[in-house]
Amino acid sequence: MLTARRRVVATAVVLTGSLLLASCGDSDSGSSDGKTLRLWHYEAPNSAMGVAWAEAIKEFEATHPGVQVKFEEKSFEQIQKTAQMALNSSDAPDILEYNKGNATAGLLSKQGLLTDLTAAATKRGWDKKLSAGVRTTSVYDANGVMGSGKWYGVPNYAEYTMVFYNKALFAKYKIAEPKTFGELTAAMDTFVKNGVTPLANSGGEYIAQQYVYQLALSKADRSWVDAYELYKGKTDFHDAAWTYAADTFADWVKKGYIGKNTSGATAEQAGVSFLQGKAPILFSGSWWYGRFQDEAKFDWGTTLWPDSNLTLGSGGNLWVVPKNAKNKDLAYDFIDITMSKKIQNLLGNKGGVPVAADASAITDAKSKELIANFNTLSGRDGLAFYPDWPVAGFYDVLVSETQKLITGSEKPDAYLDALQKAYDKGAPKQ
Amino acid sequence: MTVTVERDARVVGKDHGSRPSRRPRTSYALFLLPGILAFLAVVVLPFVMNTYVSFTDWQGVGSPTWSGLANYRELMDDSEFWASFRHSLFMVVAMAAVPTVIGLVLAAALFDYVGKHFGSRVAAVLRACFYLPQVLPIAVAGIVWSWILAPDNGSLNALLNAVGLGSWQQDWLGDPDIALYSVMGVMVWVQIGFPLVVFMAGLQRVDPQLYEAAELDGAGWWRRFWHITLPQIRPETYVVLTWCSIAALKVFGAVYVLTKGGPGGATNVPSYFSFTTFFEKTQVGYGAAISTVLTVIILALSLVGLKLQTRAEDAEEGARA
Repeated sequence: MLTARRRVVATAVVLTGSLLLASCGDSDSGSSDGKTLRLWHYEAPNSAMGVAWAEAIKEFEATHPGVQVKFEEKSFEQIQKTAQMALNSSDAPDILEYNKGNATAGLLSKQGLLTDLTAAATKRGWDKKLSAGVRTTSVYDANGVMGSGKWYGVPNYAEYTMVFYNKALFAKYKIAEPKTFGELTAAMDTFVKNGVTPLANSGGEYIAQQYVYQLALSKADRSWVDAYELYKGKTDFHDAAWTYAADTFADWVKKGYIGKNTSGATAEQAGVSFLQGKAPILFSGSWWYGRFQDEAKFDWGTTLWPDSNLTLGSGGNLWVVPKNAKNKDLAYDFIDITMSKKIQNLLGNKGGVPVAADASAITDAKSKELIANFNTLSGRDGLAFYPDWPVAGFYDVLVSETQKLITGSEKPDAYLDALQKAYDKGAPKQ
Repeated sequence: MTVTVERDARVVGKDHGSRPSRRPRTSYALFLLPGILAFLAVVVLPFVMNTYVSFTDWQGVGSPTWSGLANYRELMDDSEFWASFRHSLFMVVAMAAVPTVIGLVLAAALFDYVGKHFGSRVAAVLRACFYLPQVLPIAVAGIVWSWILAPDNGSLNALLNAVGLGSWQQDWLGDPDIALYSVMGVMVWVQIGFPLVVFMAGLQRVDPQLYEAAELDGAGWWRRFWHITLPQIRPETYVVLTWCSIAALKVFGAVYVLTKGGPGGATNVPSYFSFTTFFEKTQVGYGAAISTVLTVIILALSLVGLKLQTRAEDAEEGARA
């Protein structure tokens, strides 16, 4: 018979054990019987990708009788911030959508959390379907640097940035569609004279830093991008391109092209200011395209950034297969379906940029224009990725420092110093 | 139950004198056990693990590399950390000092004036109104305030414009010179309800005869407040100040929702800084060092607060004796 003291100790041991087990999380790791595909993605259901992936799931279930797809909708932030932990556990899904780039997919591949898809990519022909520019974000070397090495992800769409402009407002102020950089700045001058802040901007999120990067890209070439993004050379933030970008951006704030009161604005607020007809120009990505098609109450057009061979863009987010996935063959089958003509054409007609669509099957006029511009860009090797990719945590640095440039609390020189410091700290040593 | 009976029999058998029985103490220990174990598993164990991680260079997966005090040395020279810590002190003003003062005055006004002239029900309704921000999830309150403080179509700027104060319009959350004060203003609004409720509860136990005697002696409201109310609810004041200061040092949600530490780091605080270091920069070891330092500071502050409270109570009891 237990004494009271022993009972207390026994109770303590049981409780401690239970609590510790509970704190380790549940151990439902999913089955490995080939009957379930656990899938995570973060696309909005009404976005081009969301619609296409929903159709792909239906197609998968139709072609895999007896196999159930367990789809879990996650947010981008949720996957971005917890993927490492989830993928390192036995709870990893069989396939998930993940952000591309050195600081994200590259980091996971380096840590051994992703499955090497090289054999599957060759066997199933994914390597043939993706152009060289789009494929860059699929392959990573042993250090997690994109552009060479093994396949760790497959993008099914592409994305790029462009100038969205409100044709009605341009007409109202008798301004012609800008074809050159000079015409773009002249147009912005006219808007300012008429009391209109021309550029929609968000300093609190990615849009402001993308203006800066685009300005730098307009003075850069492929080797500059390779040095910055792929570490194939030294990146000097005080070189001609970065200096021009920082000076011009600060100058644009002074001239009133960019509102000082946008330093804390979100990307959503910038998009809405364009949609509401307050800002006549928004420079941002193809991910807005489908929404503008749906919601804009005015005639709008797009053009690539004038007088620049390079612009921000890449293959879209990646399908990756965790190292701990239980049903890898099913995951490969799903990727196959998302690459099929049926799903790619659907994606194209819903305002996305497909990577393997049948050109004649894209019937929507605006979607055709979107894809034609992408083909122009892709044809001249113009995808220059994004400024926050090279270093983990660089996104926050860019947001914070560019905010200072908007508010005028930091000079361009100090801005570039700060970027250099953060870049050098995080980039692999040359 | 068996345990208690066994102990009862044993203790009764041995206890022949007037010494207080140890029975209640040992019996209560059993009831405290789940709490102690939960504390060990949920607080102490993670803290020990976090402290260990803070001495390593680690990206969150794989094997951590022991780096000794490197993270702490880096922290000492990290101007971003010290700036975030300075912002924390501003948050202590906004979340502890100011709400305590306002809460005290409002509690006294509701108790002394509103309660007596308009009835306790009106006072209770007003108290509930002041407490409402405490009930709202900070994410909801933050989003609503971000609408109110928006530069273009925010209702605060619209209101200023409507009353002819258009020149006072500001980019409340986007101007680095103003953003911290805007967040502080929101936090004052969030916090006031807590001290108010605690102080009103404290005022219930003050002997009304003290006020009556003072009134008979001709003391006005302010003198009664200063010489009776304040000293009588000193224990509540210590509790409120300690509790709110700790909350201010830990503040995260409001900064995350309103400004994400911006613009340009103007509203960054240690907990948000730690969060971005953990999850954005994946410098888990360094993030752990930040949170370890923060925990030590909060612990020290709590101990100082408790010590001051105990000392004041002891002095008060000594004076009564």
